[in-house]
Amino acid sequence: MKITKLLTSVATAGAILVSGAVSSSASAESTLETVKKRGHLRCQVGQPQPGFYNLDSKGNWYGSDVSICQAVAAAVFGDKTKLEIQSTTSAKRFIALAAGDSDMLSRTATWTLLRDSQLGIDFTTVNFYDGQGFMVRKDSGIKSAMDLKGAKVCVSTGTTTELNLADFSRTNNLNISPVTFEDKNVRNQTYVKGGCDAMTNDKSGLASNKAAFANPDEHMILPETISKEPLAPAVRHGDNQWADIVRWTVNVMIAAEENGVTSANVDDMRTNSKNPSVRRMLGAEGNLNEGLGLSKDWAYNIIKQVGNYGEVYEKYMGDGKLGIGIPRKGSQNALWTKGGLMYSPPFR
Amino acid sequence: MIVLATRDSKAASAHIRPKEEFNFFQDTRVRSAFYQILTVLIVGWGIWYLISNTTHNLDRLGMNTGFGFLSSTAGFDTDFKLIEYEPGVGTYWRIFLVGALNTLLVSILAIIASTILGFIVGVLRLSNNWLVARLSLVYVELVRNTPLLLQIIFWYVGVFSVLPRVKNSFDLSGGAGVLIINNRGLYGGWPVPGDLFWITTATFIASVIGTFFLVRWARKRRDNLGLQFPIVKASLALLVIPSTVVFLLTGSPMSWDIPTLQGFNFVGGFTLPPAFLALLVALVAYHAAHLAEAVRAGILSVNRGQTDAAKSIGLSPNRIMSLVVIPQAMRSIMPPMISLWMNVVKNSTLAVAIGYGDLVALFMQTALNQAGYAIEMVGMTMAFYMTISLLISWVLNIYNKRVQLVER
Amino acid sequence: MGIVNATKTPARSAPLSEGSVLGWLRINLFSSVANTILTVVALYIIFLLVRGIWVWGIQEAVWSAESRRECFKISKEGACWAGVINWLDSIFYGRYPREEIWRINVGGLLLVLWMAPLWIPRVKGKVIIGLTTVFLYPFLAGYFFSGGEKGIFMQVMVSAAIVCLVAITIHAALGFFANSSLLQFLLRITGADKSSEKNQRNVLLGLLAAAFIGVFVWQMSWQFESVTWTKWGGLFLTFVISGIGIAFALPGGIILALGRRSKLPVIKVLSTTFIELFRSVPLITVLFMATTMFPLFMPDGFAINKLVQVIIAVCLFNACYMAEVVRAGLQAIPKGQEEGAYTIGLGYWGTMGLIIMPQALKVMIPNIVGSFIGILKDTTLVSIIGLFDILGMLRAISEDVFWRGLHHEPLLFGAALFFILCFAMSKYSRHLEAKLSTDHKD
Repeated sequence: MKITKLLTSVATAGAILVSGAVSSSASAESTLETVKKRGHLRCQVGQPQPGFYNLDSKGNWYGSDVSICQAVAAAVFGDKTKLEIQSTTSAKRFIALAAGDSDMLSRTATWTLLRDSQLGIDFTTVNFYDGQGFMVRKDSGIKSAMDLKGAKVCVSTGTTTELNLADFSRTNNLNISPVTFEDKNVRNQTYVKGGCDAMTNDKSGLASNKAAFANPDEHMILPETISKEPLAPAVRHGDNQWADIVRWTVNVMIAAEENGVTSANVDDMRTNSKNPSVRRMLGAEGNLNEGLGLSKDWAYNIIKQVGNYGEVYEKYMGDGKLGIGIPRKGSQNALWTKGGLMYSPPFR
Repeated sequence: MIVLATRDSKAASAHIRPKEEFNFFQDTRVRSAFYQILTVLIVGWGIWYLISNTTHNLDRLGMNTGFGFLSSTAGFDTDFKLIEYEPGVGTYWRIFLVGALNTLLVSILAIIASTILGFIVGVLRLSNNWLVARLSLVYVELVRNTPLLLQIIFWYVGVFSVLPRVKNSFDLSGGAGVLIINNRGLYGGWPVPGDLFWITTATFIASVIGTFFLVRWARKRRDNLGLQFPIVKASLALLVIPSTVVFLLTGSPMSWDIPTLQGFNFVGGFTLPPAFLALLVALVAYHAAHLAEAVRAGILSVNRGQTDAAKSIGLSPNRIMSLVVIPQAMRSIMPPMISLWMNVVKNSTLAVAIGYGDLVALFMQTALNQAGYAIEMVGMTMAFYMTISLLISWVLNIYNKRVQLVER
Repeated sequence: MGIVNATKTPARSAPLSEGSVLGWLRINLFSSVANTILTVVALYIIFLLVRGIWVWGIQEAVWSAESRRECFKISKEGACWAGVINWLDSIFYGRYPREEIWRINVGGLLLVLWMAPLWIPRVKGKVIIGLTTVFLYPFLAGYFFSGGEKGIFMQVMVSAAIVCLVAITIHAALGFFANSSLLQFLLRITGADKSSEKNQRNVLLGLLAAAFIGVFVWQMSWQFESVTWTKWGGLFLTFVISGIGIAFALPGGIILALGRRSKLPVIKVLSTTFIELFRSVPLITVLFMATTMFPLFMPDGFAINKLVQVIIAVCLFNACYMAEVVRAGLQAIPKGQEEGAYTIGLGYWGTMGLIIMPQALKVMIPNIVGSFIGILKDTTLVSIIGLFDILGMLRAISEDVFWRGLHHEPLLFGAALFFILCFAMSKYSRHLEAKLSTDHKD
């Protein structure tokens, strides 16, 4: 009696498991539909990194990459708060995106050929140009990265930073010995206390770290940039519509700055602007939104709720209260009209 | 169901043993076979299910598999390695070896030091000196009740990073320059044997063999005649004196490779980075505290009568401890010690947090990030730790069997 | 001839009594030269430590400031506790919405209320209370913590949990004040205590159904805002992970240990392999495997979140450790107990559940508490794989724009917090050990 009962229950359980597996694997809707059905966007950032994504003492995420997440949420839902921020370590960021844990990745991920083609993800468009550099103490007498022969250099593990350092050392025959760290705080502490002669990182990271030292004036960033680090949001491979949405969200923010549209004047611009490009972008004329599958005021929502690229930069990367003080003028992150690389394709 | 059972019993009664009713569902052998087959089926199905999913997913995501990556070159460097490795030339297999050796080095040193310290603190816990006993207690409780990860970070950031800088290095050997410590690590001289050093080596080997026979002779004499021989002093003398004399007679054929300040850093001799020192100290402090508790419990578990009896036959307190109490205490100290040693190896993986290049940090973290191959790399890392753990428990269990009470 | 001592033997001075301060000092601190040296060295170490901690941590410390810069302005030599104080909510509750924090507090209080009767000596039916804690409380807590839409199953479980909690509380109060039990009390007030057993059962079932329906209707009006797991963090998340780990470790460990001692070879081999596999690898590799490889193990489109992955890993890992504790406990029970149980006709589960386990569990309690402390401490490793448990939150402080680089103070605060928790648990385990000990010590 017992046995048959057991057998039946086991069979039922097995059947449920198998059927569950089958039904769940049969879902193949577009990312936009999935996101809309769920009611919020899942956006992946990293472990707190000032400027890009960071936690405040109230438990809110803020930063320039978080703003991209908010902008996409605003574009899809018309509400930037319909957003779930996920934070992962750099070790599993791509697998988490490829496996479907998150809808998009907006974190300091460098756009490389290998990542774009082999990891099941697609990069959209660059929202920050960075490059690896070195920081040294002013009294060390080091004036150039070529002076670092035989030096100990503090570096974070598990990123391209480490590879670039090894390459740089080999090409220039510098025999640099790296001191690797998993924890950024420990790396900074070691450098400040003289455990390394120099510290290497993306220059944005160096600048923000320097600002946090007890005596920032004792340190300086060397002029050399030893790598190209174009940082770009990424999406899962294979859904072009979704990739377009993310790509054009970034473009809207850049184009808005170019045309002088800010979160403060966007209402006025939508009704009164004479510029046809602005009118098309903000949905006052034409139907550019249709191909993306979004509402007519998607770009308006982005600017209204999040702001244009310049506003976001000023707030988190520049000299704002939450900013980390990286000058934009003359850098690659300035608009193309001001000598930088920030350039949006036309809205037509 | 009842119908079924009756039919079965009828069928059974037709067989040779009519008395014993064979009930298919009540028979223990049938039942146990059924449960076992069922378990095998479920487990087998589970494994097959996972494997098929994994292969499907790897295929879908276009991820690479196989162990071919082991022979391709790795592009990153590490600052502490026991064997030759150069970025761009060394392979991932080399990285695996570097990491494994680093893990083994810190684990072995930590095991030795924590065992010694653990015994000392364990005895101090029972000290007559109230203050010392209390201090030991505070140490044990503090260390046992906070996470090891926090402690490792503390030792690294709070202690080894605040040592003097390179220019103000502290010479531990009092000006001889053989042992130097600063916030970049511990630098030590490394002996370089000269041409005639082999004579000293040969003498030393001869002394070791001599000592071995001396010990055997002394033990035999004790057993036969009941006479004590100062075995420790005699063998120490035999080991040290002839070698030293020969060494000096051949003109001290040994030089030191002494660390000297060149450019930014000390060069020459050996170097132990602060991450290594912090990890070592943290592991030793943490596991010694755990061992101390086991030692204390072991000593307390020895029956009071044993000590009294030993006193009554006139043994000195030291001898009571070393000949009577500790050997018996070992019985209850051994099992926790086995798991402690295994824990040292496993906990050395927390090196990740402070950047010591152990196996997990180098192979499962950095290499995995650069090359992918998650399944292979995690698998190899786990296999390494499994082998070490099984080895430790196997060796110590042999010893454990020897000290256990043989009941007659 | 007699030998007479002409001079009187001088009287020896009376031994210092241990009661006097001087005597105590002499015996415990200065009984010999070596001891005196030890004492002096120890005193010096204590002096250095206490002075250092006092100056840095209290005398020169800054308790209220807006940012680390401000801390520096006030004092460069002291600790900047202001940052920790500023982040206190995040340290305890992570990113949980601040206006919803009461839900966590209530959830915690309910657990205390639920489990308190286990420590009241006169209350009966502790096994049932313990079991309901493991099987019903998680539903109630889960709903409180995550909120959102609840399905019909969740509604039923939540209602059942509330009924159970109320019953346990009344039962405990009755047990404590009136030395009675809930069943007796209910039967008395309904006047059914004299009627037949069947009648009594019907009355009780009726009361139960009435209570359940009442609660069910009541809870339908609850509207909790949904809080996803990504907002969980801090000490709260540490407690959730280690709590589930602890709750699962014991039953899982018992099953695995029984499997390892089983007479069926297949089950024995499987359990042994499983246990040894997990025990021989570091937790960090298991966590790493869970987070990087779990997504690959699962069928297409079947994503389980990172928290669940971590919890599964922690549960399996700790069950294997607990299995060895249980096995050691089982080995301490004489074989005669098992044989005796079989003799009186108990089956395998009867023998284990009624005879062996109750005795073995008693032997194991100190070790079980020890394992729980281990689980709590090990949970901090989840910060390495990117969850914002308490250690993750403490590290996040030093990234906050206002508190950049504040590193030592949060970690020390965390260490102190852990010390208090773990030390209390270990003291309690010692107390239990002494209480449960049936040996005769000489």
